Amino acid sequence: MTTISAGIDVGSGAVKVTVMDTDGADDHRMLAKVSERIRRREVMKVVDEAYQSALDQSGVELIHYIATTGEAGEVPFATGHFYGMTTHARGALYLAPESRAVLDVGALHTRALAIDAHGRVTDYKMTSQCASGSGQFLENIARYLGVSHEEIGSLSQAATQPEKVSSICAVLAETDVINMVSRGITTADILRGVHDSMAERFARLLRSLEFDGPVFVSGGLASDAGMLAALRDALERKASQDGRSREVVTHADAIFAGAIGAALWGGFRYRKLGQGGVAWQARAAVA
Amino acid sequence: MRTAIVDWARDLYEDLDFTAARRWLADHPGGRAGGYLPVYVPREILHACGFLPVGIHGGGDRLEIIRGDAFYQSYICHLPRSVIELAQSGRLDMLSAVLFPSTCDVIRNLSGMWKLLYPDVYVRYIDVPQVPDPAAAVDFYESELRQLVTDLAAVSGLMPDDDALRRSIALYNGKRRAIRALYAARQARPWDLPTEELYLLLRAGEVVPAEEFVTQVERYLAAIEADPGRPRDNSRVVVTGAFCEQPPLGLIKSIERAGCYVVDDDFVLGARFLTGAVSLDGSPLRALARAFVETETRTSVLYEGDLQRKRDLMHERAAAAGAEGVIFATPSFCDPALLDQPMLRKGAEAAGLPCIAFKYSENTGQFQQFREQAGTFADSLKLWSGGPA
Repeated sequence: MTTISAGIDVGSGAVKVTVMDTDGADDHRMLAKVSERIRRREVMKVVDEAYQSALDQSGVELIHYIATTGEAGEVPFATGHFYGMTTHARGALYLAPESRAVLDVGALHTRALAIDAHGRVTDYKMTSQCASGSGQFLENIARYLGVSHEEIGSLSQAATQPEKVSSICAVLAETDVINMVSRGITTADILRGVHDSMAERFARLLRSLEFDGPVFVSGGLASDAGMLAALRDALERKASQDGRSREVVTHADAIFAGAIGAALWGGFRYRKLGQGGVAWQARAAVA
Repeated sequence: MRTAIVDWARDLYEDLDFTAARRWLADHPGGRAGGYLPVYVPREILHACGFLPVGIHGGGDRLEIIRGDAFYQSYICHLPRSVIELAQSGRLDMLSAVLFPSTCDVIRNLSGMWKLLYPDVYVRYIDVPQVPDPAAAVDFYESELRQLVTDLAAVSGLMPDDDALRRSIALYNGKRRAIRALYAARQARPWDLPTEELYLLLRAGEVVPAEEFVTQVERYLAAIEADPGRPRDNSRVVVTGAFCEQPPLGLIKSIERAGCYVVDDDFVLGARFLTGAVSLDGSPLRALARAFVETETRTSVLYEGDLQRKRDLMHERAAAAGAEGVIFATPSFCDPALLDQPMLRKGAEAAGLPCIAFKYSENTGQFQQFREQAGTFADSLKLWSGGPA
């Protein structure tokens, strides 16, 4: 018997919702995925909209378990909540089963996790309170430069002489960027410099963990090709120092890793509890 | 109604000027206010001698410590510094007496400081029996209580007779019954009674008359009964170690928001230290002494000679509460809690109970690390462990 579960991942910048058909083995299917930017709206309204869209998209008539993750601890209709590390680990395994580490680059922080083949987190490191390791920082820089989110990756990859940016502090880095603009440095070179600075921090996080397998990049920056290229280069530089190469993988649905993981763990939990019942049912199905 | 009661409790919890006690004194000419520190003092005695018992639980995360640090070294817990700060800033100047229970050496030393700093205030260090012979223990403690009554009566001018003592005991039996009802309701339906609210009620009960507290608890229980919530798939945990210096409210909220139902704890333990009703028959002081000696509360401030019994404690508490794991949340530099913790944890883990431990101080302001630990712990209980103890 299959279990239908929903995962709701509330991040600092966006709400992601998935609906999954899980069967207790490995044959899980994603029935719906919705990502909705918050953009200064009330978070719970965005959650409601995104959840409803995902229900419509999936066409299901009932949900057995609604699992939340991220900052979604207050969602009133949730069945249960899972911590972000736990869900990103499981989501990474679903999207790239060979991965043994996860780099979750969110809007406000970045986490590196070492995971095992069952999705259990064996170790982790986080960027501290400094925002220069976060997606929000990159977005701010792009906004100063008049570049859209979608353009960042391709522009960065077109850089010819990347400019070095402070990798310690977001405030210093933003000052660096203002100086670069006044010195006439090209937008591409500035963006690649920013990417390199962030990648250097991420590589340091990953290097402090013990794992044997590819690194899966999740979160909003997983779709930034410039960021991925910078990370691969940074890890290659580290490999020349310690002799340990670390492959970087990602997936088109990497932004949904948390929501996927929440839904999968929700399904697992539903079967483990064995209590039956549903968390949501369409009116027509009830009738 | 529930929101109004919680707001009432929150206002009292946040009020570091003890306005409620001052108002009570203004409304009761001739009345006195008697303070006490954690963990346990017999509040009935204060009440019977004409005092409003006032719990002194430090300044939490709402008080800047300026003078308090001058009195204690850096390796001493935070509670006594903030208590000194409260006193030195005049916030405790309405107290005519302050009782210091035998919680630890730090509290004992604080009683000495109080005597030197405030010679006009009645100060007593309350010695409690720690011997295995119950008859000798009751005799000793009864004599201590009798001396306490005499001393407090000299301050207030009100010497209670046995009937007055019985009335006070009955009142506090009712207060403890109300607290037990809160704990029972939370254990059965933690989704209806968040620990954040329970804790606020307990703290409010430390500064208002027992009658007012009991009324509010009854109204609160009726309100949650009338508006049942929806259970969530959270992990059930025991939080232990916080019997003296109280955790910041943010820490309790962090544990709950991380996906845990707290189903047993030792917050404000002194208010429910006596686990059963104190007898109203015979000598009231002897009954109170016997209740203390025979109490089932087992905590680090009472001597436990049977090591196996101590090792079994967390498993027994978890089993009674239907908990799946134990969170040792201990104030930094709390000797009683931290000295017991290895044995308690070893016993819990030997019984198959997953545990985590972290340290806090009452003014801790950053909760991210607690959320991470509690969140991953809650997940590990749900995903990788067998089920309730």
